[in-house]
Amino acid sequence: MRRIIIRRLVQIIPLIFAVIVMNFVLIHLAPGSLFDVMTSEQQITDPKMLDQLRHTYGVDQPVSVQLAKYIWSVMRLDLGYSYRQNAPVFDVIMQQLPATLILMLAAIGIALLVGVTAGVLASIKVNTIWDNLISLGAVFFFAAPSFWLGIMMTVMFAVKLGWFPVGGMRTIGVDESAFGAVLDVMHHLVLPATALGLFYAATFARVMRASMLEVARLDFVRTARAKGLSGGRVVLAHVMRNAMLPIVTLLGLQLGTMLGGSVVIEAVFSWPGIGSLLFDSVMSRNFPMVLGVLVLGSLLVAVCNATVDLLYLRLDPRIKAR
Amino acid sequence: MSGFSRRDFLMTTAGAALASGFAGSSKAATGAPKRGGTLVGTWGGFEPQSLFVPAGGGSSPYFTSTKVFERLIRLTADLKFEPVLALGIEPAEDFRSYTIKLRPNVTWHDGKPLTSDDLVFNAIQYWKPISAGVTLDALQTAEAVDPLTVVLKFKVPVPEFFLKSVLAGKAGLVIPKHIYDGSNIITNPINNTPIGTGPFKVKEWVRGSHVEYARNDTYWNAGKPYLDKLVIRWWRDPASRSAAFEAGQLDIGTFNPIPAPDIARLTATKKFVAETKGYSNSAWITSVEFNQRREIFKKREVRQALLHAIDRSFIADTVFFGRARPSLGALHFSNSIFFTKDVQDYPFDVKKAAALLDAAGYPVKAGSRFKMSLVSAGWFEENVKIGQYLKQAFEDVDITVDLAIPDRATSLKRIYTDYDYDVAVSNNSASIEPIPQTTQYYTTDGIVKGAAFRNATGYSNPKMDETVSKMAIETDEKKRVSLVHEFDKLAASDAPVLPMVDLEPVTIARSDVRDHSLTADFMGESWAEVWLDR
Repeated sequence: MRRIIIRRLVQIIPLIFAVIVMNFVLIHLAPGSLFDVMTSEQQITDPKMLDQLRHTYGVDQPVSVQLAKYIWSVMRLDLGYSYRQNAPVFDVIMQQLPATLILMLAAIGIALLVGVTAGVLASIKVNTIWDNLISLGAVFFFAAPSFWLGIMMTVMFAVKLGWFPVGGMRTIGVDESAFGAVLDVMHHLVLPATALGLFYAATFARVMRASMLEVARLDFVRTARAKGLSGGRVVLAHVMRNAMLPIVTLLGLQLGTMLGGSVVIEAVFSWPGIGSLLFDSVMSRNFPMVLGVLVLGSLLVAVCNATVDLLYLRLDPRIKAR
Repeated sequence: MSGFSRRDFLMTTAGAALASGFAGSSKAATGAPKRGGTLVGTWGGFEPQSLFVPAGGGSSPYFTSTKVFERLIRLTADLKFEPVLALGIEPAEDFRSYTIKLRPNVTWHDGKPLTSDDLVFNAIQYWKPISAGVTLDALQTAEAVDPLTVVLKFKVPVPEFFLKSVLAGKAGLVIPKHIYDGSNIITNPINNTPIGTGPFKVKEWVRGSHVEYARNDTYWNAGKPYLDKLVIRWWRDPASRSAAFEAGQLDIGTFNPIPAPDIARLTATKKFVAETKGYSNSAWITSVEFNQRREIFKKREVRQALLHAIDRSFIADTVFFGRARPSLGALHFSNSIFFTKDVQDYPFDVKKAAALLDAAGYPVKAGSRFKMSLVSAGWFEENVKIGQYLKQAFEDVDITVDLAIPDRATSLKRIYTDYDYDVAVSNNSASIEPIPQTTQYYTTDGIVKGAAFRNATGYSNPKMDETVSKMAIETDEKKRVSLVHEFDKLAASDAPVLPMVDLEPVTIARSDVRDHSLTADFMGESWAEVWLDR
């Protein structure tokens, strides 16, 4: 187990290096620069001021030097300074990253709960009306764009019924106890996490159904039944546990896309996460911020994947740490 | 529609808007203002990069910083100057110096008093080099005569309306000397938690969500602000703003906060009002620019022909859902001081356009007169549609069009840095005073490579330069107005760049929000007088 962890951690280093170099090159290939955006927004025309700003932003040096400097500072765990926000990159990201993490975790939770339950249900009642309804739902939520789903849910549950707030993460201007604050965030979390989670739930349901049906045909399941175990116990302890493996694989793969997918949901629900920051930073060619988000994002995904690997071990003892 | 009737229409409505002034719908409320409550506001754009961007930085930081910082004077909706931090601004007889009397007993949010030292610092270290730039080129010195009096001295005579317009405009915010002195104003981290003299203090900025302001209890204007709390929140999606209005979680939104089709639906409930006042000192236009570095577009007939080929009413009605009007001349129709209808108009006329192009030496050969690259700046959603429409309109007069709709950074670079376009669609917002925001599109000194929203066409006409330099020093207001008319006539007939449509942004507010939209640039006002009738 320790070897797996160490190996994973060592693999992260070239990954992050590649993320930095690739994105640095990409953002410099895009027309326009942070310097252009900043000076045009600020209407600066004085040549002396322009030179001073070029120096401040570090764009008076060759691109290769800028890249080397950036890699050197990341190695010292310094993500740089964003002149657009007038704040260190790390501080700005840390203000917004927790919100994205909460949203992601909640969405994964919903996706797993809904997807696995629906998949199991569909496989037990295979080829009945239940199965068909679940398949229909899965196709619908898989096909519906998440921003549309988000807006429809807002109109239904926030505007018409008034059960949930229309957006944001906290009720603004209310001082609450720590417990009240947690409840408040959870109340705000329901709609965005559901809108984001249902898409993934749809895939999980389909995969879970197929996997369940496959495992149910195996010999050990027949043995379990022959032993006289109850139907429920066979399904939960024997079939489901073994059918979970593809779900876990899928989960590891989708954590990365979920980080990206949350950008849209964050926009619809004005969730104060990393998505809008990343979007603005790309639009303004603010490369220290873009790279900072991507470096932290790839770290996050790498750590999540390592966790998934460990989960495999737990679920299926036949997989040995090699 | 004939040009004449539209002009008359423009004039009457502009006059009516002027006459109604303070009697507008938002003021029609009964009774004295009520104290208290929390107002949640937004605008039709995104979160700012920083709460205060000293050199401007666009509408979003302007919106957030003006609740904290104030100016010496402000411009009301009927275009009169009103004192804010200054009690008076008096020109000397030769208009080469101005005496500014500050309001006594004004304190910054940290308790320090506002004095003439602050003002001298602002004039020399902030306005001239950073926020106003060339606009205050003529400013020579600022001297503190006593703790509340400052004299500004200029190299040349400076028209009173011009100076007051600068001081009441985007560049005129008054920032504290004791906080900024000795630091780099542009990169000072305090810009994320600015300290000003205004009615609201920054309490907390939750990035990605909102900024919360607390009432300034020691505000110089006793009794104001009426609100206990002001929250500016950002949604990235217009449909979400509509939902927030309907769910009662948003009270007011400036600058087209919601999709145009939703406006009628919301106002029909009588719970919301749509207000078009409060934008005249920051009047938005969508313009078309012709690159004079290209041989074809150097010919005036070609530019005029292309203008005749554009159906501007179509753009106003279809792209903007009627929330825009076809432009006339270089000035916005709401500019009731300087606007003139006595300029060359370009009514939609495909035949005339074709004839002009033939005469200019570009007949149709093998199905096409010539090929052009059209760059429509993709920062507004409408520009995407306008770009597509223009492509069709120009193809209707047999021009081959290569259309590009790049994102913000690329558009800025192609239009204003690399001049890499033949015809461009862009936007700008202009103050009532045409110098420099409008004139810098036409003057030779407006050509500054890499500086956006100015002369990117390379147009240079000595007569134009002369007219504008006369405008800059003409201190007789009447003569100045006729000089502006002269400028407008020349701009309209030479047409290096011209507005296609004058936008009419709308503010959406709950009907119990009172006394909003009373000034010429409401979004950039302190909102001290806004109150809730609940």
